[in-house]
Amino acid sequence: MDLELLRKTGAEVAARDDVKYLLGWKQGTYGYRVAPAFVENAAGAAELIFSPLCTANLATYLTLVEQLPVPRGEEPDTRKVALMVKGCDSRAVTQLLVEKGIERDEVVVIGCPCPGVVDPALLAEKYPETEEPAEMKWDGEDFLLIRNGEETKISRDELLAEKCRLCRYPNPVVSDEMLGEPVETWAPGEDKGVEEVEAKDVDSRLEYWMDQFDKCVRCYSCRNVCPLCYCQDCILDRLNPTWVNRSVNFSENTAFNIARAFHLAGRCIECGECERVCPANIPLGKINRKLARDVRDKYGFEPGVDPEAEPFQASYKPDDPEDFIL
Amino acid sequence: MTEKPKVGVYVCHCGINISSTVDVDAVAEFAEKLPNVKVARTYSYMCSDPGQVLIKKDIEEHGLNRIVVASCSPRMHEPTFRKAIADAGVNPYFLEMANIREQCSWVHEEIEEGTAKAKKLLTASVAKVRLLEALEQKEVDAEPAALVIGAGIAGIQSALDIADAGFQVYLVEKTPSVGGRMAQLDKTFPTLDCSACILTPKMVDAANHPNIELLTYSEVEEVKGFIGNFDVKVRKKARYVDFDKCTGCGDCAKECRVKDRFPNEFDQGLSKRSAIYLPFPQAVPAKFTIDPDNCLFLKKGKCGKNPKCQEVCGTEAIDFEQEDEFVEFRVGAIIVATGFDPFNPSRKPEYGYDDYPNVITGMEMERLVSASGPTEGKVKVFNGEEEIEPKEVALIKCVGSRDESVGNEYCSRVCCMYVAKQAHLIRDKLPDANIRIYYMDVRAFGKGFEEFYDRVRRENVRYIRGNPSEIFKRGNKLVVKVEDTLTSTPLEDEVDMVVLGVGLEPRADMRGVMELLRLSQSPDKFFLEAHPKLRPVDTATDGVFLAGCAQGPKDIPDTVAQAKGAAASAMIPLARGKVPINAQVAIVNEATCRGCAFCVSICPYSAIEMVTVNRFGNEVEVARVNEALCKGCGSCAAACLSDSIQPKSFRDSQILPQIAALGVMK
Amino acid sequence: MSANYEPNIVAFLCNWCSYAGADLAGTSRVSYPANIQIIRVMCSGRVNPLYVMNALQQGADGVLVSGCHPGDCHYMEGNYYARRRLGMLKDLMEFVGVDPKRFHMSWVSASEGHKWKEVVEKTVEDARDAGPFEGFRRRQIDW
Repeated sequence: MDLELLRKTGAEVAARDDVKYLLGWKQGTYGYRVAPAFVENAAGAAELIFSPLCTANLATYLTLVEQLPVPRGEEPDTRKVALMVKGCDSRAVTQLLVEKGIERDEVVVIGCPCPGVVDPALLAEKYPETEEPAEMKWDGEDFLLIRNGEETKISRDELLAEKCRLCRYPNPVVSDEMLGEPVETWAPGEDKGVEEVEAKDVDSRLEYWMDQFDKCVRCYSCRNVCPLCYCQDCILDRLNPTWVNRSVNFSENTAFNIARAFHLAGRCIECGECERVCPANIPLGKINRKLARDVRDKYGFEPGVDPEAEPFQASYKPDDPEDFIL
Repeated sequence: MTEKPKVGVYVCHCGINISSTVDVDAVAEFAEKLPNVKVARTYSYMCSDPGQVLIKKDIEEHGLNRIVVASCSPRMHEPTFRKAIADAGVNPYFLEMANIREQCSWVHEEIEEGTAKAKKLLTASVAKVRLLEALEQKEVDAEPAALVIGAGIAGIQSALDIADAGFQVYLVEKTPSVGGRMAQLDKTFPTLDCSACILTPKMVDAANHPNIELLTYSEVEEVKGFIGNFDVKVRKKARYVDFDKCTGCGDCAKECRVKDRFPNEFDQGLSKRSAIYLPFPQAVPAKFTIDPDNCLFLKKGKCGKNPKCQEVCGTEAIDFEQEDEFVEFRVGAIIVATGFDPFNPSRKPEYGYDDYPNVITGMEMERLVSASGPTEGKVKVFNGEEEIEPKEVALIKCVGSRDESVGNEYCSRVCCMYVAKQAHLIRDKLPDANIRIYYMDVRAFGKGFEEFYDRVRRENVRYIRGNPSEIFKRGNKLVVKVEDTLTSTPLEDEVDMVVLGVGLEPRADMRGVMELLRLSQSPDKFFLEAHPKLRPVDTATDGVFLAGCAQGPKDIPDTVAQAKGAAASAMIPLARGKVPINAQVAIVNEATCRGCAFCVSICPYSAIEMVTVNRFGNEVEVARVNEALCKGCGSCAAACLSDSIQPKSFRDSQILPQIAALGVMK
Repeated sequence: MSANYEPNIVAFLCNWCSYAGADLAGTSRVSYPANIQIIRVMCSGRVNPLYVMNALQQGADGVLVSGCHPGDCHYMEGNYYARRRLGMLKDLMEFVGVDPKRFHMSWVSASEGHKWKEVVEKTVEDARDAGPFEGFRRRQIDW
């Protein structure tokens, strides 16, 4: 990725009168951290980066930023938000367009063709984090890690995030400006994680997920980080009616996780953020990907690709599968 | 909810219908201990007058504000008990019924299990009733006017009935004249009245009726709103002839530079008309229309020096500047009488309709035998070489009906009789001809039909049981290849003319009306009625009714009967002047709605729209329900990720406790 | 599992077809197992798929959702939405280890009293096969 082009484009966009701010990535304070950058003017664009460490899906901020009450006599700031997106992130933007979470003219999308990012947990495990901020680059087929001035070449297969291994949309599906040439797509790998669970018998599956959901601390990070979980008032927080009790136990944790996953059926764009942020390391991606795959294979539907699509959960086809009906 | 729920529980014996498998006293005793229950009683027949009095008295004495009746199905007596508690001053929607008869005592045999289940069902009802909300039965005003779409015999009859009752009617017809298919027919079975003689007076009545506004050569463009208040927009297509000035003299058509060049639709293309035309001599209104696809001036901007029609018109009625006009009005009810299309036999190539001029359809035969038709009633055909009077005539039934290969499984209901009638008319005109009818079955079910069929058979018309497989040419004859299935004899009958008894099909252009009025199709693709037996003229869209062949194939008497039925139904809201709207409608919590519009996509009634509201100074989109359109199905609620849209009386907050109660009672 | 284990089934039926069909089973005095408790909703499209999860959590051993046959929905298309949503839910539940025998969906029309009996028998039998649901059952249920 050409950083100069990125910062130049970023500066131009951030300087536009009709843009409130630009959302991009910047280096974090230590180790492999990457932080979201809210760039409000051209000068701010100098800190923008795009690297294999930029795993975060910034589309979340489009709906996460709270609409503060407008003081009397003032007008709401209706300027556009500019946003840097990878392929997967762009699908979140598209899905938000489908669901009217945002309007097309409210965003400026800067597309970053993405050769694949690293799995941050795996990276930290294999190459311990330093206090100093580290850098990472794409280097041909591989990753290049720069720690304490020392360069390490790491093969792509070693660190590539699972979501990227399975990625079918490395190039943004929606954008106003595209940074550089599209990357060549690769054949998505087999989803072994999902297949392994599917291969178990039903009791073993329950055991497997019992172990997983038992770990859940109900921090709701998975929900909060998800670009498509944007209800102001989530039903899983609500007391009347109470879908899920607040107590943290296997029963409520499971209900929470089922409800969360179901609400994303036909909506999840497989950016993997929920799994990345889970402090309990619950493989949430497996559930999401399982549903996404069923939606694709059985219903011929893929969310976040066509902004004109009918939402999956709000449409049907007369010949939807019904082999499960008595 | 400010008032604390005080629940009264009433367990019905229903004679012994319930009490034989459910220990009703035990159920009542159990109910008394349930939270918020103040009174629990049993009675032999809760629905009877004394039963209802019992409830009313308790409401008065104990200040009950919620009632649970454990008895038969709510589909049976919910209205009865709603009314009873309303009489006693309790909101009628503070009622819940536990179905312990149809779904308990009648289907279970052991008293233990029946009693246990009744307790469970009752507990769930008590759980729910406490959380119900008071609802108001609202009414909206209904516009005392009706729209009738299609001015064939069905539309004309409906319009006349409604207009005679004193209501305004807008009768919209797509073509330049009213009359529809019936106007094209010669005689009608089984009475052999002349179709035109019985229809034309009605056409004229429709045009002259003070309460009918006739909009011919017009199409409904837009329908908004709901029963009682449909806002309709109609496009009046430009005729390029001043409606008021045209006297119908016909001088223009005689002088037209492209005189008699184009197939006359009314004569099924058997005769030709000019670019300016009157569809048929008895057309109503008797006003000429210019066909924009064929008029030289409209197509090319040039017609000689001056268009001839303009030159000869004594009243200067020709107006090439005319543009489509729009008419808007409001009606309380709509009748769809859009009719049918005859089956196009090109879809059965084995019959050679496209190849041989002497293979014709039943509709073409109607025109041929009509005294006002292109041959003035003489049966003549062109056999490819010369025009002849046929000596051998074949008529084939069930062409395009009862035929899965063309996608029409249904019987068209009229072909048996119209084919018999045509055989009779041919016999009349060609006394010596050999007339054969090839058939699968003869369905002569109507009044006078069997008698007519007998008469035709006695007129030396041969009925051959067999479905021809092919028609081909041999010399100057057509060969009908068929197996006589009664004698198992393969036949190759040589004939001069074949009449295909084509069936009736849904109109090719029905989709427009379907979408405008949110109608559905039945499996045969005709418009779907609300109930095949008990609501045959209603549709799923309240205030929209069906008349005639738009709903399915019908003969004229059935069409007229249905048209009168549709008119009577349509007049109910018009006469009342009010329409009740469903109280159990969906409602949006605008504070939590995230504006995704899933509900808008889902709602089959287009009852939900997005509106912009001000949320602390920010403009946000939220869903809003039009209560007059909502039917309360709740499909929206199941898809709402934030539970922001909920059907009243079936809210999540009312159903989840029901589920829990059934779990507790396990 | 005890020999006389009886599963507890919660069923959600649409008012116009399946509930009427169940009524007809009663009127025709068709006999079927008493394990099934019916909750009436106006349309199968009303059934929030999470009801199924909630019912299992709150004491049901099996859940049934029944609506009008495709094309017969009183509200035109509610059953199609239900089919899609509940089909997805069934996949999800199976994936997290809920025996597919615990959740069924059926089309039962107002004239199919006998089909209703068959559906109930199948649902109860399957739930009995699957045994008491422990899975993510809530310890204390309260209404």
